[in-house]
Amino acid sequence: MVTAPVGAGFTERHLEADGFAIRYLDGGDGPALCCFHGAGGLQLSRSHELLAASHRVVAFELPGFGRSPVNDRTDTLRQLGRTMARAIEAIGLHTTSLWGTSFGGKLALWCALDHPQLVDALVLAAPAAIRDGRPLPDGPALVRALYAHPDRVPTEPPLSSQVLDQQRALTARLIGPARDAQLEAAMAGLATPTLVLFGTEDTITPPELGRHYRRLLPNAQLVLLYDAAHALDRDRPEAFAGTVAEFLARRDQFVVRQDSGLRYP
Amino acid sequence: MRPMQGALFCPVPYTGAVQRQGWPVPVTEYEAELAQDSMAWALEQATTADELGFDWVSVAEHHYAPMSLTPNPMVMAGALSQRVKRAKIALLGSNIPIQNPVRVAEEFAMLDTLTGGRIVAGMLRGTSNEYVTYGVNPAESRERFVEALQLIVRAWTEPEPFGWIGRYYEYRTVSIWPRPVQQPYPPIFMSISSPEMAELAARYRINAGFAVTSVPLAKGSADLYREAARRAGWEVGPDQILYRVPVHLADTDDQAFDDLAEAAARRRSGAYSTSNQAVDEAAARAGYYGRDVEHQRGRLHLGGDLRDRLDDGRLLAGSPKLVVEQIRSIHDQLGAGIIEVIPASPTRDQARRTLALLGEHVLPAIRPW
Repeated sequence: MVTAPVGAGFTERHLEADGFAIRYLDGGDGPALCCFHGAGGLQLSRSHELLAASHRVVAFELPGFGRSPVNDRTDTLRQLGRTMARAIEAIGLHTTSLWGTSFGGKLALWCALDHPQLVDALVLAAPAAIRDGRPLPDGPALVRALYAHPDRVPTEPPLSSQVLDQQRALTARLIGPARDAQLEAAMAGLATPTLVLFGTEDTITPPELGRHYRRLLPNAQLVLLYDAAHALDRDRPEAFAGTVAEFLARRDQFVVRQDSGLRYP
Repeated sequence: MRPMQGALFCPVPYTGAVQRQGWPVPVTEYEAELAQDSMAWALEQATTADELGFDWVSVAEHHYAPMSLTPNPMVMAGALSQRVKRAKIALLGSNIPIQNPVRVAEEFAMLDTLTGGRIVAGMLRGTSNEYVTYGVNPAESRERFVEALQLIVRAWTEPEPFGWIGRYYEYRTVSIWPRPVQQPYPPIFMSISSPEMAELAARYRINAGFAVTSVPLAKGSADLYREAARRAGWEVGPDQILYRVPVHLADTDDQAFDDLAEAAARRRSGAYSTSNQAVDEAAARAGYYGRDVEHQRGRLHLGGDLRDRLDDGRLLAGSPKLVVEQIRSIHDQLGAGIIEVIPASPTRDQARRTLALLGEHVLPAIRPW
C-alpha cells in the first residue's frame, strides 16, 4: 500500500494581505477552520487531514516564515493578528474557527480578541501565551520536547538553517513577555468558546500552564492530551483531531458525551 | 533514617468452610452470618493492631473468592477509618487498570479526608484472573495502569477542571471533591515484581511493595528498582520498600512450628491467582506477566515445607526473638523498611497471641533499625 504524504488533498494557494504575499494550504469541505502554526513554521500534520474530513481547513504560512520573504515590518504579535484577520477575510470568509499552536496559539488569542465577529470558536494547542520562562531547548532535546512518540517525527527534509534562523529571530521578536498583563486582562473579556489543549508530556509549555487559561478565559474548556508532548497534533493526531472536531461541532456542550455505550442492541 | 515500620494486612478471608475450588468460587456454601463474622474479626484485629502500635493496617482488592471479602477495599478502609485512630490505613491496593481511575482518585481523597491524612495509596495491576472480573483485556493491563496512575495523580493535584483525552480513558471534565489531605498527594505504592514495573516505579518515583514472593526473588527486583532509580536521579530509601509475609508467633519457637505443622496437615492448598488455569494461561499469552513470564508465574507456585518457607522469607514464625531475626534478614537483604504481616495463625486465640507478641516484643525491637 502506498501511503499518501501528509498534505494530500490540500491545495497550495496564495493571497495578499497588508502588503504581504501569504501562502496557505487549503483542504476539505465544511465550516472553516483556519490554522496558525507554531515557531517551527507551516507543516501539515495528520490532524489537519483528519479535521479536513469535517471542515475546510486553511493552514496559513505566517509572513516571515518558511518560503516567505523576511518580515521586518510586523512589530507585535497583536499587529500580526490584524494582518492575519485580513488574510482570513481575503479568502472570503466572514466567520471561521481558529486553531493556533504554541506561538500561533498566542497569535490566535490576539486575533480572536481583536476580531470577535470573525472568530466563532478558538482552539489553543499548547499555546505560548502564558509561559513559565524556561528556555527553549535545542537540537535533539527540542525533538524530545516536541514528540513523546519519536516515530511520529516528520520525515520530510528540514528547513534550511537560514530559514530556521529567520523564523527563530522573528518569533523571539514577536512572542512578547512570558506573562503579558495586557493580554491576560483582555482574556477575561473573551466570550468566544475556547478549547485549550496541553500534552501531558509537554516540557516546553507544561500542562500545568493550562489552569491559567481555564481561570482567565470565561468560556474555556481545558483538556489534557495524555502521552503527547508539545507537538500534540502530530503526537496523537486521532485523539487531537477527534476532540477538536467534537468541540467545534458542540462547543461548551462537548462535555456531554453523545457516543453510545450500547454494546448489543 | 526513619524507623522500621510494621503493618498488619487484613485480607478479610471468609472464615467458613468452603469445599469448592477454582475461580470464580460459587457461593453454594456461603452463609451471611459467617461473612459478617469474618468482617467483625478483621475489624477486631485491625483495631488491636492500632492499639498495639502497628504503623499501618492494610487491605487489598480481590474478587469472586472466599480468600478475601473486600472486592472494594475502599469500603473496608472507610469502616477502618472509624476504628483505627492512629495507624495509617494502606490500600494495597486498588487494582487501578480494572477500575474507573477518577472514582479511585475520589475514594482515596475521601479516605484521606476521613483519616486526616493517614492513607497510603497502593495501586496495583491485580492478579491475572481479576481481569475477568470486570471484563478488561489483560493484554492492556500495563498500559492502562500507567495511564490510570497519571490520571489519578492529575485528578488529585490539578486545581482547575480539566478534560482527559487518554488512550484508554476519556473524561471530558474532572474536578474532584474532596481533595487529599496529604500534599501534594498520599504516598503511592505499587508492585514491582516484574522488571517492567520496577522500571516504571523508578521512573515515576513510586514506592515498591512485594507480596506472594520470596526474599531471593524479591531481591532481584529490588536491586533492579534501586539501579533504575539511581539512573533516574534518586535514591530508594527503606520507607520505599514494603515486604508482605505470613506470620505466626508463639511464646517458644517449637510451639509456633508445632501449631503450623498441625494446621498444615488440615490446610487446603491452591493459590488464588492461578486457581483458574485457563484464565491464567490466557492472561499469560496476552502478555500479562511481562518479559520474565516464567519467573513471574514461578513465584506463584513456590513449593517446599515449613523450613523452606522460613529459609527464603516466605513465612515469619517462631518466638518473638526468632521472628525479629527473620525480619532483620528481610530488612538487610531487600532494604525493606516496612514489614507487612498476614495473620497465618491457625486459630483466633493464636492470632490474638501473635498480634500481642508482635506489638509487645517485635515492633519495639525492629523500630530503631
